[in-house]
Amino acid sequence: MSSKDLTLSLSAHAATLSQKKWAGFFSLSLREIERFLTMKSMTVFPPLISTALYIIVFGFFMGRQIVDIHGFSYIMFILPGLLLMSVTMNAFMNASSILYMARYDQTIQDVLLSPLSYFQIVSAYTVSSIVRGVLVGVLVCVAGVLLVRMPIHSPAILLLFLMISAQVFGSFGIMIGLRAEHWEHIAIYINFVVTPLTFLGGVFYSVSLLPPWLKTLNLLNPMFYMVNGLRYGILGISEVSILGSFLITLLLGSTLLGITVYLFKIGYKLKT
Amino acid sequence: MNISKAVAALEISGLHKYYGSFHALKGIDLIVNRGSFFGLLGANGAGKSTSIHMICGLTKKTQGSIKVLGYEVEHHHEIISRLIGLSQQEFNLDRFFPLHKLLRYHGRLYGIGKKILDHRLDELMSQFGLWEYRNQLTHRLSGGFKRRIMLVRALLHDPEILILDEPSAGVDIELRIDLWRYLKKLNQEGKTIILTTHYLEEAQSLCDDIALLREGEIILQGRKDDIVSKLKGNLINFFLPNPLETPHVE
Ligand SMILES: Nc1ncnc2c1ncn2[C@@H]1O[C@H](COP(=O)(O)OP(=O)(O)O)[C@@H](O)[C@H]1O
Ligand SMILES: [Mg+2]
Repeated sequence: MSSKDLTLSLSAHAATLSQKKWAGFFSLSLREIERFLTMKSMTVFPPLISTALYIIVFGFFMGRQIVDIHGFSYIMFILPGLLLMSVTMNAFMNASSILYMARYDQTIQDVLLSPLSYFQIVSAYTVSSIVRGVLVGVLVCVAGVLLVRMPIHSPAILLLFLMISAQVFGSFGIMIGLRAEHWEHIAIYINFVVTPLTFLGGVFYSVSLLPPWLKTLNLLNPMFYMVNGLRYGILGISEVSILGSFLITLLLGSTLLGITVYLFKIGYKLKT
Repeated sequence: MNISKAVAALEISGLHKYYGSFHALKGIDLIVNRGSFFGLLGANGAGKSTSIHMICGLTKKTQGSIKVLGYEVEHHHEIISRLIGLSQQEFNLDRFFPLHKLLRYHGRLYGIGKKILDHRLDELMSQFGLWEYRNQLTHRLSGGFKRRIMLVRALLHDPEILILDEPSAGVDIELRIDLWRYLKKLNQEGKTIILTTHYLEEAQSLCDDIALLREGEIILQGRKDDIVSKLKGNLINFFLPNPLETPHVE
């Protein structure tokens, strides 16, 4: 090959550079979506079954013995919370297991070697986690509508809160997937962070029933704002401002996204 | 992007690497000319993989400078990732996807369009005898096949510089013959190839230029014939494992 040819082929490289800037990002997002879809029986269906069980137990058996909250039956009141649990858990599991596995078997190196920027890499993993979270969320909503005629007050707000909640926990999952040295580390974060936040975030009760000091504490729990948004999307009621809930969740999500990009930039647990 | 012919494919100067307190690379200087077939020869633990990973940005350097076709590695990740194709020493193939899909996703990471990608995949997979395995999961395949897949993956985006970290490891003699012949052809067509090995015979059969790496230091560097005669005449003390069963390749 002459030097002229070399220069030509290099400028061809340069052309692909600008043209295909985002093609790699879409490819990585799709690959990570396909990954969880190939394991549907492990990723998508279990949360659906557990939510259906919740609905049956609380809706049909126990719910009748619990008084209505804000004019809704108990099951209706907690459905947004059950929804949030499935969505956040799935987004978290998706991101943390992708990152953990990719570090474990070193396939992450190929992604690091590719032309994608750190922002694109992190965004692709996050998108995959949002898709998994929202997909599970939509299926849970369908189950709610079919089993207990769950209303949908505002599909747009419902979808919006499904997405930002999944993003927050997707980004959090990336951080934990990077940090974890064993699978158990991931489980520890689920048991000691995700689950307690969910249960204490007003999923199973109305904050108006709480003593004032617990009410204040609740305001520090990000899950409270997510469940509030979902509850508005479904039932049309909310305990705090929807815009405020949205902005707080968005701020948290962007902060976590920024942290994950930073962790990739410094090669945290990725580069020795 | 206009790269003059004079610029080296790879230029390393004063490169150090510490792993904690362990001094793995002790100030390496290296120039690989464009279009050459370069061998980095050294025993296990000499620091070959460490050097390669730093060139590709997979390992952080402690000190020094690395330029690929004139681009400083630290600051031009995107350009350099398109210029380099790396086949790592350790297999790292995604267990989830069948071979064909795995390679297709990989190609698309580089933004290769569908048509060109199909063409490249057909060509490379037949070249390496992988076509009939395209629907298999890679972890079911033998080491020799995994090595071929690693090579195809490195070549898929048609990089200017091909870097192969111990490509002969775990490969039987027949594949080695094919592989060596193919690499020579690629080099003749203009690709710069950098290869690490702990077999003198491999470097001798393939490379134009050789650098000897020992315990993180380059102790000798130059044209193949000089290096080989010095090594064979025991003019330098350099430990290498037993000779490799050598295919003869024209
Ligand atoms: N991640 C790491 N942490 C600590 N030491 C390492 C690491 N990677 C390599 N080393 C050490 O650095 C030296 C060079 O390793 P390596 O570059 O893999 O050698 P080679 O590829 O020539 O066999 C070896 O002594 C090895 O044990
Ligand atoms: Mg090595």
